[in-house]
Amino acid sequence: MEICFRRTPLANGYLFMNKWSFPLVLLVAPALVVAGGAPPNSDSGPTEVAEGRQIYEQYCAACHGWQGEGAADWTKPDEKGEMPPPPHDETGHTWRHSDAMLFRMIAEGWRHPFNKTDRLTMPAFKDILTDQEIQLVIEYLKTLWTEDQRRYQRSESQDVN
Amino acid sequence: MKAKVYRLNSGVSRLFLFALIAVMPGLVQAQSATDGQAVKALTTDASGALLVLRNSGLLAVEGQSTTEIPLPPSDSGAPPRSMAKGADESLYLAGPGLGIWRYDNASKRWQSLNDTLPDLGITAIAAHATQAETLYVYLGESGMFRSRDGGAEWVKVDSGPREPVQAFLHSDMPGSMESGWLFAGTTRGVARSMDCFCFWGDAGELRGTVTAIDYDPSAPENVYAVIEGQLHHSSDGGESWAGLKIPEPVTALTFSLKEGLVVGTEDGDLLSQNASGEWVPVHE
Repeated sequence: MEICFRRTPLANGYLFMNKWSFPLVLLVAPALVVAGGAPPNSDSGPTEVAEGRQIYEQYCAACHGWQGEGAADWTKPDEKGEMPPPPHDETGHTWRHSDAMLFRMIAEGWRHPFNKTDRLTMPAFKDILTDQEIQLVIEYLKTLWTEDQRRYQRSESQDVN
Repeated sequence: MKAKVYRLNSGVSRLFLFALIAVMPGLVQAQSATDGQAVKALTTDASGALLVLRNSGLLAVEGQSTTEIPLPPSDSGAPPRSMAKGADESLYLAGPGLGIWRYDNASKRWQSLNDTLPDLGITAIAAHATQAETLYVYLGESGMFRSRDGGAEWVKVDSGPREPVQAFLHSDMPGSMESGWLFAGTTRGVARSMDCFCFWGDAGELRGTVTAIDYDPSAPENVYAVIEGQLHHSSDGGESWAGLKIPEPVTALTFSLKEGLVVGTEDGDLLSQNASGEWVPVHE
């Protein structure tokens, strides 16, 4: 099976999968789930988690780490005066945000207000990923957190709603 | 007869002197209740009156009128140390050993908000700038707690910055992922986090123990912090700071609709800036 890749300016030169090749990935997702072993405490089913993981690895991992570990020194501005990509695992703060906020961050992008540059360091993915694909990524991210963090995040999501 | 009158006069004089000696300490205390004591905290109420917390008590100051507000009852006798005003103008007082209390304007009584807190060791409080029911308290080693229902239920949300927090502030400065920003005055300087508690980072390079912090609600990027009596100003949300010259060491600060920035001093004075930028007394 051949998967096509192309360079996308949105991600600062990182490799991105062609949007039209995404369905191909879905075909192999179940096998990847078995290989990767999704954490048992996820709220979503293994298929959703696997799909989300696949999208994450194609679109997000280059900046946020293959295991969601983020940049090495993500709490301090880099040499360009930009805040580096934070981790999405239990060491980061992704779990502190509601589903709605996470969706907005992925769809519309984000720049830290104290960055010295004006660009969106977190690119907007609303023209690249569908709403469902964004939701799948969020469901995968939840598997990277502790049970307490998942509980906290559920509460945040309910408070927002 | 003369001797009797003399003895009577002498007796009355002694009685007067005795009464004066007995009453004098009380008079001295009453005098010192408003003079010379450092201002511990400042805020304003719904009518725009300045609320001034000193060791001697809490006063509402409006023009020439001064009204004493009784302090919350406390079994430990612990005095309040922090004061905050909620988005709905509610008044909150807190302190180590006292916990946190809200003043009910209708009944003129204090209501304890301590039922679900793990202990009463609060050293700093903040009220959300726009959400009336959201409050934050810092409990030292126990960490930071948030209530979203006006203090009925407290939830631990974070450990806080590495250094202990002395002063706490929520600001509706734009740019947050969530609903605003938190500024914590610590023993190292000012720490800043979005109100998601995403992470605490240094707000600029201001160093020292911050004892008071506030911001200008009409221009939220303007943040003010006090270190060892010196007032510092940031016009860019805490990225950079500059010292402001004030004739007396500052111990507290707030923003008043009428006066703008008002500072309380070590000598108990309240100062604000006149049209030419000079610091002048606010009439107490």
